[in-house]
Amino acid sequence: MMYSLRIRLITGVIIGILLLLAVFSLVVYSVIRRALINQFDASLVSTAQILSASVELNDGEIDLELDVEYMQEFQRKERPTYYQLWHKDTVALRSPSLGRDNLLRFEGPLDVPVFRALQKNRQPLRAIGLKFEPRGVKKPERDRDRKRNEDKQRAKQQTLTLVVARDARVLQGQLSFLRWLLLTASAGAIILSFLVAAFVVRHGLRPLTAIAGEIAAIRENDLSTRIGTTSVPDEVLPIKNRLNDLLSRLEEAFKRERRFTADVAHELRTPLSGIRSTIEVTLARARNSSEYQTVLSECLAIVETMQTMVSNLLMIARLDAHQITFRRAQINLTELVNCCWRPFSDRALEHEIVFENCIPLEMTCESDPENLSTALSNLLDNAIEYTDNGGQIWVTAHHYDDSIEIAVANTGCKLTSEQVSHVFDCFWRADPSRTATGIHCGLGLSLVQRIVRALGGSTNASVQADGVFTVRLILPVM
Amino acid sequence: MRLLLIEDYLPLQKSLTKGLCEAGFAVDVTGDGQEGLWYAMNNDYDVIILDLMLPGVDGLSILKKLRAKGRQSHVLILTAKDTLQDRVAGLDLGADDYLVKPFAFEELLARIRALLRRSYLQKNPRIKIKDLQIDLTTQRVWRGREEIQLTPREYALLEYLAMRAGEPVSRTDIWEHIYEFKSTASSNVVDVYIGYLRKKIELTGKPPLIHTVRGRGYCLGVQL
Repeated sequence: MMYSLRIRLITGVIIGILLLLAVFSLVVYSVIRRALINQFDASLVSTAQILSASVELNDGEIDLELDVEYMQEFQRKERPTYYQLWHKDTVALRSPSLGRDNLLRFEGPLDVPVFRALQKNRQPLRAIGLKFEPRGVKKPERDRDRKRNEDKQRAKQQTLTLVVARDARVLQGQLSFLRWLLLTASAGAIILSFLVAAFVVRHGLRPLTAIAGEIAAIRENDLSTRIGTTSVPDEVLPIKNRLNDLLSRLEEAFKRERRFTADVAHELRTPLSGIRSTIEVTLARARNSSEYQTVLSECLAIVETMQTMVSNLLMIARLDAHQITFRRAQINLTELVNCCWRPFSDRALEHEIVFENCIPLEMTCESDPENLSTALSNLLDNAIEYTDNGGQIWVTAHHYDDSIEIAVANTGCKLTSEQVSHVFDCFWRADPSRTATGIHCGLGLSLVQRIVRALGGSTNASVQADGVFTVRLILPVM
Repeated sequence: MRLLLIEDYLPLQKSLTKGLCEAGFAVDVTGDGQEGLWYAMNNDYDVIILDLMLPGVDGLSILKKLRAKGRQSHVLILTAKDTLQDRVAGLDLGADDYLVKPFAFEELLARIRALLRRSYLQKNPRIKIKDLQIDLTTQRVWRGREEIQLTPREYALLEYLAMRAGEPVSRTDIWEHIYEFKSTASSNVVDVYIGYLRKKIELTGKPPLIHTVRGRGYCLGVQL
């Protein structure tokens, strides 16, 4: 990405400069060329004017003033000026420089000079063609109409065509030098601008390079580092900040994951050590069968605890990964709660806990029966675990416009409000040592919360001054 | 040798107690931190096996208080916490060893034996007193070439005397290191066991190994 960005920037700059230079060179070239040619043409025009002014026509005889004819310009061998004069279709005069050669005859309207590039002996020439009326003609005085007609006729007969040509090598040389100059200057400018652009782009992208270097140095086992590149340009600053935010979130997630894994390992170690030492001690010597039976049933109880924990963990993981599909069915809440309570009734009796299902008989709700009953069972299990002997557990439900609230309450809660705010955290316990006591591993309420969330609802927990602990499930009504 | 086990996870507590008793240790057990602290403060245990997460008072606080009061018992921390920080914290607070759950029971026993040897400045796991040999690892005893069969209690008594060989050991010391807290006290139970032990290890025609030190107790190996 870095690489192509640099190339793209440099290429863009170079193309821009190239276009600018091309336009600039073309304009300069054409302006100077025009000026040079104009200058050349102006001298041709003046020569042609001198010549044309020197020509006299006397009764069909064409004369040229001698001093003009013998002007150095028309005599010299080196880059001479040529002229040729036609009267009607015959060549009237020729410059000495021309020898016996002919110039190409061309002309425009009367008295309008026309320019043309010619070649003589492969040398470039620039020529002017001029059609003119020579001096020295006496206009006869006749009546107007005749005069006009005769004028026209005479003009036809008496106009001369003059072509003056001059060696254009100097002009061509000047123009080709100009072209060379412009091309060389452009090439130099391109190379220079490439170097400057490369430097500027590299310099400009330095913060990006620095950030990339810092990112490359971040290892997944240490996400506490942040991108610290200072003097970051405004355009890159949001990228840096977003990356740092992302790193913070990643670090937090990794920490949570690590803590969770550590917690899981810790929670599994204690029962495992129980099983292991029970088996090892038993195997250390021969025992009678009743001893083996006791030990095996003890181990089985531990295994059951671990199994519950593992399946809870698995369910939490699946809920977190959205791997659990839900079905919807009409549920009679009273029946569902009674059904969930049944497995706990013996334990409640043992601790003289009174259970009351206060949900109105006809109350129904549309939700997933299996998952809702898992949530309720976990809530009741938790309630029994923490209710004082001789205490009470009761379940209520209320219908609201767009939701239904199921509340499980129990007496004998010793938690503070601050502690209650943690009850839905994984592996949280009011007393950390409860880890070892087996039945509860601090996953029940987290599982409840995740199930209810997956069902589209929410949970909350509260404790009152008299020790009544209530967990509420708020489920949406379809 | 007398141990205190402070562990609140019942299945582990139960099996460890059973295993340690069967290994010949006198074991006091509690699952409560407060109670454990009281036991540790009021008895001279050879080794205290301490869980860290306990109801009442947590393991590290117990350790801190014990060391603050100058109790010298060796402490072995037994916990599911396995991070480097936990281990360093435990050892730095004065623990002598650290074992992470789950562990092999054999390793726990070996570590306890190592701590005991350290307690009694005994590097060699095989103690020799004249022609009496005691293998502390296998708990076997020989007189000359002949192996002597001892009951666990007799072995515990001999081991304790052997650890402190050459010095007089009082009846109270013996009582405190051989018997658990719950045993009913009896003034002459130590003398009775010394009698049993003498019958098994003393040989006729050879000088006695266990000497009675008047008013001070017993001494193994040396006539004081």
